[in-house]
Amino acid sequence: MRPILLLSLFFSSLLFSFDADDLKQLKKEGSCPMCDLSYADLHGLNLKKADLKDANLSHANLSDTNAHKANFYNADLSYAKFNRSDVKGVNFINAILKSVDFTEARLWNTNFAKAKIDNCNFTDAALGSAIFRDNNLTNSTFKGTILYKTIFKRNVLGIPKE
Amino acid sequence: MRLIVLIIISIAIVFANEIYFEHDMNKAIQKAKEQNKTVMMLYSSPTCPECNYMKHVVFNKKEVNDYIREHFIVLSFTIHKDKLPKGFEYIGIPTFFFLDKSAKEKYKIIGGSKAEVFLQRLKGIQ
Repeated sequence: MRPILLLSLFFSSLLFSFDADDLKQLKKEGSCPMCDLSYADLHGLNLKKADLKDANLSHANLSDTNAHKANFYNADLSYAKFNRSDVKGVNFINAILKSVDFTEARLWNTNFAKAKIDNCNFTDAALGSAIFRDNNLTNSTFKGTILYKTIFKRNVLGIPKE
Repeated sequence: MRLIVLIIISIAIVFANEIYFEHDMNKAIQKAKEQNKTVMMLYSSPTCPECNYMKHVVFNKKEVNDYIREHFIVLSFTIHKDKLPKGFEYIGIPTFFFLDKSAKEKYKIIGGSKAEVFLQRLKGIQ
């Protein structure tokens, strides 16, 4: 019974983990488009101008990172954490943003056009000059969020009030 | 005549409540010594929305405005335009450096925040 349990734990950990080579590439080159970085601990990393388009970053911990002007185009960021991160000028176009924690993140000038925003937490985050287009914000949290000159273009549901 | 006096008084009131931005380090240090205040040195840019939010929104909140004018001499530099003083590391703007009497950095705030949060941070410096 015990070996079966251990084996199943081993295989389940394989199912829910990032590709080690992809993580190496990100740390070495500062970019990793189309990579599998799901469940990766990227906490505190310098991801400035990192190209992470089409990457799988679901459940990744990106808290306290400097992701200034990074490219997350079409990336899967479901359940990712960006707490206190510098996410200024980032490209989130077409990204999957399901239950992402952006608490206290600095999201100035960030582009959320066509991002699939669902149940995100923007508490005490700064969204000044950020761009929203074709998003549904109805079930996301915007408590204490800075919305200075935030741009809500067409087809945005649930526009928050400051 | 009465109208002119009123206009002058109104202008004087408006300017009295404005934060004055110094642009000369030596002058700011000298002023801070004379008035027993701390120099708050700001690195910013007019094209940075976060900087503009701090300058035009947060600095204009009465509590923040009063506190800054009472405790700080504000020294402001525009990155990519002004010659920046040596020895002050910054990774982004806005960055607020708080200088001691010998013009050395004693504290730094990176990034903007809401007025209440910024005021709390300022109070933590004194």
